[in-house]
Amino acid sequence: MQMNRRFFLHNGALAIAGTAAIPSFLVRSIMAEPATSRRRLVVVFQRGAADGLNIVVPYHEKNYYSMRPSIAIPQSQVVDLDGFFGLHPSLASFKPLYDQGHLAIVHAAGSPDTTRSHFDAQDYMESGTPGVKSTQDGWLNRALQAEDLRHRCAGTCEQHTAFRALALGPDVPRTLAGKVPAIALNNVNGFTVAGRGATPSPAASAFEAMYADSGDRILHPAGDETFDAVKMLRAANPAQYSPASNANYPTSEFGNSMKQIAQLLKADLGVEVAFTDVNGWDTHQNQGSVNGQLANRLTDFSASIAAFWRDMGDDAGDITLVTMSEFGRTARENGTGGTDHGHANAMFILGGNVKGGKVYGRWPGLDNDQLNEGRDLVLTTDYRQVLGEVVSQSLGASKLDVVFPGANLSPTRFLRLI
Amino acid sequence: MKTLESPLAVLLCCAVSLTASQGYAQVAQDSKVARFASRTEYKSAQIQGDQRIIHALNRFTFGPRPGDLEAVRAMGLEKWFDQQLHPASIDQTDLNARLAQFPAMRWTAAQLLYYLPGNAVIRQATNGRVNVPADPVMHAIYENQIARITEKKANKAEKGQAAQPQANMAMSATSPAMNQNQDMADSGNSMAASAANPIAGNQNDMGAGTPAPSMPQFSPAAIENIVELGPQQRIARLAQMDPDLFESFIKSLKPIQRQALEANLSPGQKQTIGALENPERLVAEELIAARLTHDIYSNAQLQVVMTDFWLNHFNVYLRKNEQMPYLLVSYERDTIRPRALGKFEDLLEAVAHSPAMLVYLDNAQSIGPDSIAAQRAEQAKARGLDAQKKVREGLNENYARELMELHTVGVNGGYTQTDVVQAARVLTGWTVDRPLNEAEFTFNPNRHEPGTKKVMDLKVKDSGETEGRELLHMLAMRPATAQFISRKLAIRFVADDPPQSLVDRMAKTYLSSDGDVTAVLKTLFHSPEFWSTSTYRAKVKTPLEFVISAARASNANIDNLRPIENNLRQMGMPTYGAIPPTGYKWDAADWVSTGALVDRMNFALNLAAGRLPGITMGWSPFPGQNAQTGEVSNDPSPEAEETRLESLLIPGGVSDTTRTAALQQFAAQSAQNVATPVSAPMRPNRAPNFLEREDQVLAGLLIGSPEFQRR
Repeated sequence: MQMNRRFFLHNGALAIAGTAAIPSFLVRSIMAEPATSRRRLVVVFQRGAADGLNIVVPYHEKNYYSMRPSIAIPQSQVVDLDGFFGLHPSLASFKPLYDQGHLAIVHAAGSPDTTRSHFDAQDYMESGTPGVKSTQDGWLNRALQAEDLRHRCAGTCEQHTAFRALALGPDVPRTLAGKVPAIALNNVNGFTVAGRGATPSPAASAFEAMYADSGDRILHPAGDETFDAVKMLRAANPAQYSPASNANYPTSEFGNSMKQIAQLLKADLGVEVAFTDVNGWDTHQNQGSVNGQLANRLTDFSASIAAFWRDMGDDAGDITLVTMSEFGRTARENGTGGTDHGHANAMFILGGNVKGGKVYGRWPGLDNDQLNEGRDLVLTTDYRQVLGEVVSQSLGASKLDVVFPGANLSPTRFLRLI
Repeated sequence: MKTLESPLAVLLCCAVSLTASQGYAQVAQDSKVARFASRTEYKSAQIQGDQRIIHALNRFTFGPRPGDLEAVRAMGLEKWFDQQLHPASIDQTDLNARLAQFPAMRWTAAQLLYYLPGNAVIRQATNGRVNVPADPVMHAIYENQIARITEKKANKAEKGQAAQPQANMAMSATSPAMNQNQDMADSGNSMAASAANPIAGNQNDMGAGTPAPSMPQFSPAAIENIVELGPQQRIARLAQMDPDLFESFIKSLKPIQRQALEANLSPGQKQTIGALENPERLVAEELIAARLTHDIYSNAQLQVVMTDFWLNHFNVYLRKNEQMPYLLVSYERDTIRPRALGKFEDLLEAVAHSPAMLVYLDNAQSIGPDSIAAQRAEQAKARGLDAQKKVREGLNENYARELMELHTVGVNGGYTQTDVVQAARVLTGWTVDRPLNEAEFTFNPNRHEPGTKKVMDLKVKDSGETEGRELLHMLAMRPATAQFISRKLAIRFVADDPPQSLVDRMAKTYLSSDGDVTAVLKTLFHSPEFWSTSTYRAKVKTPLEFVISAARASNANIDNLRPIENNLRQMGMPTYGAIPPTGYKWDAADWVSTGALVDRMNFALNLAAGRLPGITMGWSPFPGQNAQTGEVSNDPSPEAEETRLESLLIPGGVSDTTRTAALQQFAAQSAQNVATPVSAPMRPNRAPNFLEREDQVLAGLLIGSPEFQRR
């Protein structure tokens, strides 16, 4: 099941490196083509259900203001996008990206499942099969299974590396679970066995020998992959890729994750997809308006993504970044200055090929009789339709029934935002 | 595969199957041959001698400790297993002494909620719906939390401009001692706070850090003045500080000062400091620490393993909501652990009645569409009273579905969506009474759906709570449930893909014993499939099994469980951290990812070298002692030390490859450290601390070896 990568690792260029660190020229030769021919996908999950109505504000909806007397963003404070929608002022750093045509928004999007449970909704969104609990793998892993390399990198990267599917975090998330091996790491600098020297420590060498010569059918290959990845990382020395001078990452967990994704992308390790998540969106009480809890979250969120974009510099053109959250929040504010679990939400798509500068999707309206179950924004775009277009354009994954089984996606119904 | 009628035939057929992984299907076809298989052939396929003990220890415990092999050998394997099945008689002196560090873990949910108020209770206190207790220490616990929550509400960016506390350092230390009841334990910044917390995310502070510039700073002398007070005065002094001052004080402490602050305090007093900081976090931390302490130090290991098994089978996620840590204390202690080796139906009933499960799978909110409660809500709506009230009048199918899919008959167990809805109707009214106060099960007849229901082939007459009991009984006794539970047990104890013959035999026992888990485990223990040589070391350890077995094998003395939990989280298996109701998987493939092995190797080296805070190792109480003869050598060879440590850590031994790699590395490392290579016959300069260092490295390599990743 891990044939591609194993084949490469054990019969390809890296295998000759033996127990020594891989010379960097070998790592480079895997991907000798100019960066412009390699498309990469970055996925950001906002866990906790972000309040899309205060993120991309429909500031000409009367009912928006009557339903949210204390938390609505005043018309005078929104960052106008198109005369109807405006960004929360804490997302001001998205405005230039939008104006340059790199950033697109899909509003009233999300998972069609009606659950209001965080964990069910996250599970469904990550598996890519809303309503079906028995799905074992995640949509992003299946997207890699369906990937078309000729599309993704024009024949320059037939082989995959240990960093093909990367998650910044303690473990491989549901989104990335599945047949294609994925690597999860918290901290680029910590991904090393027994210390960080320029050469492997004796303990690391001992472990490598133990696993390399082990007859264990699971641990032997896993050990080989581990040491290949560790060596690749050491050889690539991502620490040398310090952020571009104009990329000011917030000193937050999310800012740190985005910074490390940029490091690993710039280090040419063969990352094809990267995933990370950002917490703290479950604003049941006192979420604030122009300032406050949600505003702080949004500042971190947008500043981290904008810094990532600047940091990637010329390579940003090949990146597609997409964001999602398990569901939106109620259209009305609740009794404690917050919002409860709702339904549809807003997604951001950022990329060199993105036809940005536009808010996509059919707007269902916010009048009382236009609400879902009388309380939330109606869903008009299935998030899989957006992701289907994203994976087919970025990874060349055209077999959409593999990526999103049962969704009946068709390119003819894409929003054509890429 | 053919089904064999006679148990004897099954037994014998398996005897010839044991040319390792040849599978049982082929053997079943040869059952005639098997029936005449000789005793010798039977034996040749089975694990023999000490390996049987090692195998049993690997499967029915969280891994052998040094000396376990010898103890079981002396006692007899059968007798040992029988004792493990009936844990009441097992001595738990050591465990109980360690659990005394967590006094709150003996409290009811009501006590926990009152003495260690969580955010939800504190919000009620800010709204005046709960009175702030008058007792000075309790008062401080509440006030500190009210301040923390209020501060969270305020714009964090403006935090620095919050009212500056008076740096009143001259407070008297005469406050009365707090009452005995509110003894609480150690504070801790990070364990539960960051434990797999994707949803509740920001429930916690950023943890101890440098105080904000505007905060009053405590001079070393001022800190010393407080730290040097007697235990009771120290607590009283902390309780007298206003919230900002207290926060500033805690954040001023360096780790060593923090240790000094807790020196000579009783577990309850330590707990009080944690409660003054963040009671909700404290509850979650103690919950996790107590469970891990059981796993490592309980002598009733089979009970501990089965508790872990059921907690995973009936998974509940710690961060489902703010109340969950409070509900999980009783869930583990009262619902699961005492029934881990009992009748499945008792366990299923207890789980169905547990506030933790009722909240986790939302049955607590489920309301019958035609119930009195729903009718009242309709009437209220008609009168237009509902606009602000959050009245839900819906059925929630979540628990009903998982009850069948995950807890009993399994996803292919023969139920339909109609059965799910019908089961949900049966279970309406099963809810939690006063979740912020008593948090106990209650049956609310107003929410119960009237009328008869039909779930699968069971007709349920309108009879209130009894309906649910009938449903649970029917599900517990179904053959599909017997299969589902037996298979899951076989996966845990025998193999990722257990032979159907074994599962069938266990399921048969299940049905004939009214779902007696002890009887099912006995059947497993006496099955040839369990003792097949192909199962020896066939299971890859989960992160929990790896970390706990390492702690046990190395005989580590663990006063601080935080590094253990942190490593579990790093490896993707935080305690109570599985979000979906499926829990964690037992399969090997899930756990042996590329990142995971790096973490395992580093954990092994760090643990063995004593680099984890609050965990002490003793590799060389008698450096150079020969395990067989007891003789102590002043100058043991690395080979001799390797042999000694190997027999301690991995009683079954490691491969020559592993041993050679460890020793070669060892020579390299030593060559780096000292001028003379240690593998030279004479090593005149090897001081005792050098031996200790050697032991640490060797032990770390053995714990990180491929052999130690399996059980």
